[in-house]
Amino acid sequence: MSSRTSADPSAQPDSAVDTKPFVEPADLGTFDPAKSLGSPGSFPYTRGPHRTMYRDRLWTMRQFAGFGSAEDTNERFKYLLSHGQTGLSTAFDLPTLMGRDSDDPLALGEVGRCGVAIASLADMRRLFDGIHLGEVSTSMTINAPAAILLAFYVAVGQEQGVPLDKLRGTLQNDILKEFHAQNEYVFPPAPSVGLVVDTIEYCTQNMPQWNTVSVSGYHIREAGATAAQELAFTLADGIAYVELSIQRGLDVDAFAPRLSFFFDLHSDFFEEIAKLRAARRIWAHVMRDRFGAKSERSWLLRMHCQTAGVTLTEQQPMNNVVRVAFQALAGVLGGTQSLHTNSMDETLALPTQESAKLALRTQQIIAHESNVTQTVDPLGGSYFVEKMTNEIEASAYAIFDQIEGMGGVLKAIDRGYFRRVIAESALAEQKRLDRGEQKIVGVTDFVEDGSSGVDILQISQETEDAQIKRLTALKKSRDPARHQASLERLGSDAQQGKNVMPALVEAAKADATVGEMMTTMKSVFGSYDGGPEW
Amino acid sequence: MVTTARSTEQSKPAESTTPAIRMLLAKIGLDGHDRGVKVLARSFRDAGIDVIYTGLWQTCEATMKAALQEDVDVVGVSLLSAAHLTVMPEIVRIRKELRIEQIPVVLGGIVPEADHPKLKEMGIAAVFNPGSAIDRIIETIRELAHRRDADTPAQMQSGYKAKDVCALAKMLTAVQRGDDLGDWRPPSGRANVVGVTGAPGVGKSSFIARIAQSLHDQGARVAVVAIDPSSPVTGGALLGDRLRMMRGAGDFFVRSLSSGLAPGGLAVNCKEVVDVLNGFGFDYILVETVGAGQGEVAIGELADRTILLLMPDSGDAVQFSKAGIMEIADAFVLNKCDLAGADATEAQLLSAVGDDRPLFKISTIRDQGIGAVVDWVRLA
Repeated sequence: MSSRTSADPSAQPDSAVDTKPFVEPADLGTFDPAKSLGSPGSFPYTRGPHRTMYRDRLWTMRQFAGFGSAEDTNERFKYLLSHGQTGLSTAFDLPTLMGRDSDDPLALGEVGRCGVAIASLADMRRLFDGIHLGEVSTSMTINAPAAILLAFYVAVGQEQGVPLDKLRGTLQNDILKEFHAQNEYVFPPAPSVGLVVDTIEYCTQNMPQWNTVSVSGYHIREAGATAAQELAFTLADGIAYVELSIQRGLDVDAFAPRLSFFFDLHSDFFEEIAKLRAARRIWAHVMRDRFGAKSERSWLLRMHCQTAGVTLTEQQPMNNVVRVAFQALAGVLGGTQSLHTNSMDETLALPTQESAKLALRTQQIIAHESNVTQTVDPLGGSYFVEKMTNEIEASAYAIFDQIEGMGGVLKAIDRGYFRRVIAESALAEQKRLDRGEQKIVGVTDFVEDGSSGVDILQISQETEDAQIKRLTALKKSRDPARHQASLERLGSDAQQGKNVMPALVEAAKADATVGEMMTTMKSVFGSYDGGPEW
Repeated sequence: MVTTARSTEQSKPAESTTPAIRMLLAKIGLDGHDRGVKVLARSFRDAGIDVIYTGLWQTCEATMKAALQEDVDVVGVSLLSAAHLTVMPEIVRIRKELRIEQIPVVLGGIVPEADHPKLKEMGIAAVFNPGSAIDRIIETIRELAHRRDADTPAQMQSGYKAKDVCALAKMLTAVQRGDDLGDWRPPSGRANVVGVTGAPGVGKSSFIARIAQSLHDQGARVAVVAIDPSSPVTGGALLGDRLRMMRGAGDFFVRSLSSGLAPGGLAVNCKEVVDVLNGFGFDYILVETVGAGQGEVAIGELADRTILLLMPDSGDAVQFSKAGIMEIADAFVLNKCDLAGADATEAQLLSAVGDDRPLFKISTIRDQGIGAVVDWVRLA
């Protein structure tokens, strides 16, 4: 661990072996628990954002799902609601995530495959058919076209007569990590971030219950970053959104409480716990000391966590159940507000109903049988965990300095910094596996012959064909003059640097498709080819 | 998840006497999961393979056209979108249509065991899942590349003469490798050969893609030669220029070359490659150099005219010295003029080299200023 605080922390691999067999009080140096930890629910929130944590309220067990057509997912939503769930979590298919219509040539074979296909307001209406948007909270995992999907949601809400300030939910809406890792970007970085600020501004003014951005480290980590890099890059992205929103003229305490975070839970147990604790401490200081936020709600870092898909193996897939359980436990000991546990078959295909249930049961066993929920931050004060929390925090600050040195996040993207560093870390991990320095049970060691023998879920091609037919019909039946005018307004608002949200809502109501709205904005914002680093 | 792939022993550098295997790695469709493909690309390079990576969001058609033009030994497709049973039949169909059935295609990604026989049956040579040992993948690629039938020189020559692009692609491979073609020489052509040089990161490939597309749209036949450095240790190379040019796949011809041991920013037998393209009848041949710096003057010999590409704040890198690359440039193009500092860099440049050679200010990302450069290229 000690190596992590060396000159270039971003070049360091994951924690492996501490140079010392155990940590002593002296290793903590001038550690002052009152200052560094505080009580749970008090500044700097290292021990947790709430005083009683899981004793009063368990984390939200939020399993992300979505597939096929809007009807398929609508049916699933209704099933979940009838079983007492009040929050919906929507996975979109790749074409929707990339802002392309279902009939786009690049969408071949991907419509409704890994999520639900939404190309128009008509699809969105079908997705929420029979569901009152004033009574549910909806999470939408979408980024480049996030503003468009938000506009669809607003339009469906208005059709149902729900006032905007009653709409509750979350947009992932974190475009910066797309440039670093997940690759679902469309426009160049600067206008992309401008669009995120448009949604923050619109929601701050009209939809105070809406969580505007879920600043995500998950994808950064999955792409190969180390824990320290995940932490630092994610918080640096969060800082960038705050800076730009303040530049837009928004009051920090008006929008900051609606930012949340999303972290990966990898296999290095204590390192993950330290990462989540350090995240809260850093954010509290940044928001209070750097941005001068006055409201405690602005200082609090609230997080969702998901176990690490990248650690799952196709070989001996039952082993994944055990991996997920330990990763989930790290998330709980780290104090997460919300958790998704992966299914053991995700490295083979989309999860089956059975394996998704087992993943949920894993959380329930931690929540109701392990008793780890009975005391807040049980590892607080552990020499090892506190030292590690301090070290990963120091690494993050050192990486912030590097990014600032390049002129900030956007400049660092221009230079290919994030992609280069993440690819280097991924390759370094591969080399450790190649050299036998890192083990994967069932893959590098304890290998068995034979296939996995687990059942997997298959999605038919019919969804794609039916979706394309519906889209073709929609394009024929809509009012061409209204449609045309709405896209012209969108283009002109974008050109003039206005907030595009009102124009997007109008275009949604004129049955403009996701692809059409994206193309219109592309003609103003330009498109992006990934920057200097691939 | 593909990155759990591993190798059990260190890959050995390729024998220097055997030409590097050329492999195309492609991600098709909208799936952005590229951790696996990037780790594989680097691992293959370290095993001495020339890897052409075509980047994200490619169509089946563009991918296979690239495979044809590059005359690769193997195509590797990475799919984590579960679309393999839709995408791979399309790949196989286009491979047949383009008459490049001799190029084996392998697939990597999240592919259920039950689908493997179907994929093999339709003609996919191998399927690799997460956790496949990298050594085994490399061994399979070597075997497939080795088994691939080569055309005879006579077949290539008659195809080349008949303007068959497949034959051209194979002929380029042969001349670059220095194969014995007897006393065959390409006919002399009338192409306008334009060199493009500049430091890494200034956007050479994107710039060339815009110029080539524009020339094509005006009716010209255009070829691009894009050179990337070989590793002096393993002999392998990552050829990533093409990924900026995929939108024009099929509109213009692109050949990616590894530099080998050639000095001066070009590739081994680069002149011969350009001559073969020239004799085939292209109107323009755009040559992208490695981009290593001041010493890249060899392009001045090869090209009729040379463009030096710069970007704002690149003053320090090039230092605007009058030696080397600044001396041989026939025109200067200042890219990324949407960024701050463009005017200052322009002023610095003018004071360093004077104004007797043209200076264009462009932005490929905004598609601004390209037309003026194209006009200059056309005015031979």
